Amino acid sequence: MSEHRLKKSLGRAFGAAPSPARRAARWLDRNLGGSSILREELRHIFPDSWAFFLGEIALYCFIVLVVSGIFLALFFHASQAIVVYHGSYHPLAGVPMSDAYSSVLDLSWNVRAGLLIRQVHHWAALVFVAALIIHLMRMFFTGAYRRPRRINWLIGLSLLLLVGFNGLMGYSLPDDLLSGTGLRIAFSITESIPFIGPTMASVLFGGDFPTTGIIARIYPVHIFLLPAAIAGLLGAHLGLLWLQRHTEFPGPGRNDRTMVGSPMVPQYALRTTGYFLLLAGVITAFGALLQINPVWLYGPFRATDATTSAQPDWYMGWLEGAVRLFPGWDIQIGGFLLPAIFWPAVILPGLIFTPLFLWPWLDWLAMRDNQFYNVLQFPRQRPGRMAVGAGFFAFLTVLLVGGGDDVFASVFGWSLPVLLRTLQILVIVLPPIVAALTYAIARRRSERWVVS
Amino acid sequence: MSPDPRQTSGAPAPAGHGPRGPGWVPTWPATVGLLITLVGAVGFAVSFIMDASTQWLGGFLAAALLGVGLALAYWGRDLAGDEVITGPYPVPHEDAEGRAALGDALDDSVEVITRRHFLTKMLVFAGGVFVLSQVVLLGALGPRPKNSLRTTSWRAGSRLVTFDGVPVTRDTLAAGTFLVAFPEGHTDSADSQITLLRIGGDPRFKTLAGRETWSPEGYVAYSRVCTHAGCPVAQYEDEARVIVCPCHQSTFDLMDGAQPVAGPAGRPLPQLPLAIDAQGNLTAQSDFTVPIGPGFWDEG
Repeated sequence: MSEHRLKKSLGRAFGAAPSPARRAARWLDRNLGGSSILREELRHIFPDSWAFFLGEIALYCFIVLVVSGIFLALFFHASQAIVVYHGSYHPLAGVPMSDAYSSVLDLSWNVRAGLLIRQVHHWAALVFVAALIIHLMRMFFTGAYRRPRRINWLIGLSLLLLVGFNGLMGYSLPDDLLSGTGLRIAFSITESIPFIGPTMASVLFGGDFPTTGIIARIYPVHIFLLPAAIAGLLGAHLGLLWLQRHTEFPGPGRNDRTMVGSPMVPQYALRTTGYFLLLAGVITAFGALLQINPVWLYGPFRATDATTSAQPDWYMGWLEGAVRLFPGWDIQIGGFLLPAIFWPAVILPGLIFTPLFLWPWLDWLAMRDNQFYNVLQFPRQRPGRMAVGAGFFAFLTVLLVGGGDDVFASVFGWSLPVLLRTLQILVIVLPPIVAALTYAIARRRSERWVVS
Repeated sequence: MSPDPRQTSGAPAPAGHGPRGPGWVPTWPATVGLLITLVGAVGFAVSFIMDASTQWLGGFLAAALLGVGLALAYWGRDLAGDEVITGPYPVPHEDAEGRAALGDALDDSVEVITRRHFLTKMLVFAGGVFVLSQVVLLGALGPRPKNSLRTTSWRAGSRLVTFDGVPVTRDTLAAGTFLVAFPEGHTDSADSQITLLRIGGDPRFKTLAGRETWSPEGYVAYSRVCTHAGCPVAQYEDEARVIVCPCHQSTFDLMDGAQPVAGPAGRPLPQLPLAIDAQGNLTAQSDFTVPIGPGFWDEG
């Protein structure tokens, strides 16, 4: 018996004062009951692999976003009433602008730590979506979406949609030139929907663009409605994870019925708290040192102003690219018009997300495999899936490049029409080539792996 | 669930885990991390009070977070191999009895309700009608877009003015130059903004059929709202006589009815019929003859 344990049992035997932990346990049991469940859950098993921390990065970004967002909400004015600016940023002195934009300038220039928190908030959003996508790719390529985790796959994808959409809402709030231009495009896309488009756009925006109440509308959606939905779905996602436990990679002693890992308390809890703080630290360092969305340079939104090299946040880049690459095929049908932008901006996202949502069931149909799995697959075990994933990734990457085609053209001195045509060809040709190559390589590797 | 399914496997708590024992790892990295946190926390508070720059403020805050994060992550990793435990996954087939009981219970509860057939049907019907009736609330959010998408503020005789409200006369522009104009009294009207170009006697300019009187004295005006996604078509390229939208690079040929020649736009920029009044001011003959801006369903 170790010295420590000896002391403990001696203390118990001689009635020494109980430790704080013991007192806490007693208090919990008295006031809540069920301490045996709690005791068991303290030893909830967590797997020891870096791959399981990708989702946690996303979770921690959400926490950073909520904390920094509360700070920002104290200073932001969701009003488009026109004010004349007289703040510390002199280049805009005397310029008429919305109260919303003016309050963002004030919180960036006059509120202490305001700019830091604003940039942390923006960086956290950018990292959040990146973490979600990498997490999604990990789930996809290791087969973590198989039964019994299909429902959680749906919840995770819904989270991705909500988070991306809320990012767009946040981008729109400062009412600077870029955010107003983004709203203008969103209005046009809504208008393009057959039958209901014009009415829908008017109902959503409160009239014909530009309306004076749109910031006041987006604000509660951005700070309450969508965060509440995200928090709720996150709760469901983590609740299911807790009940079903993590998956695990193949290894000695591991199978679909037995899990190997370390207990939550103290090992896992200590480590993950450390990772949370590390992530918060890295994002804070980004916010401190890397300028993001300097809205004072863009100026206030006016419907008659526009700027070159206008870019959305990176996670909307594929959509921007699709809108740029799709040819101007406006279709007139017997007195009605189907604008070309309808295809890349409304139909394409549906074509991308519908198979993603259905993927676990498509996989079941393709593999005729409805088994119950807790052990993951290595990506190379399924060359077909790797090919689909890689082709999909290539498709989205070309679109993302297309979203910045004007920037690439001017930075590298390329001709924009030539680049545009090249990307239009690549977006069709490249995905099947990448898929075929991936399939061939994965096939060879998986055969070698089976042999060895 | 079985009584206590989890067992500690591998070595029990390693005996020699004390200082210098076999599993011993140095504690100094964690100590350094916590020291960094101390410095960062104090530095953050001091730089906040001194109103230092964002870089100092954020640098100290980041250091404080990274220091303790590093310490905890290191510490946690140190413990990671300490105790490997195994446990069972919840497996669906194990609780057949419970599943059956749940099914029976649900069946019974539902039966209590559905045996009143008429009431059940009424409940579904009334509930459905109630939910549908709430759709009218959407009407509070915005008007139906009657004619607002088809008309702008241009009227027959509207004088052209610049953004500052200065009237545009026949002498305002030299050949080959352009400006942005609005109908007088509506310089805030986003729908009505036009690009006014003086083509002079440029031989490349094609007068389209039916528009012979629309461009007096070499002045020609096009809507400045892109027919693709509605951005202001703001980049005029002098040599090529094209105008480019900065949002998605739709390019329109100003010499040929503002037809799209590159980029994603599918329809030309509508042309505003111009006239010159007795005082030499540029005016509009009428509103645009087709809806301006991005397309919509009942436009065609």
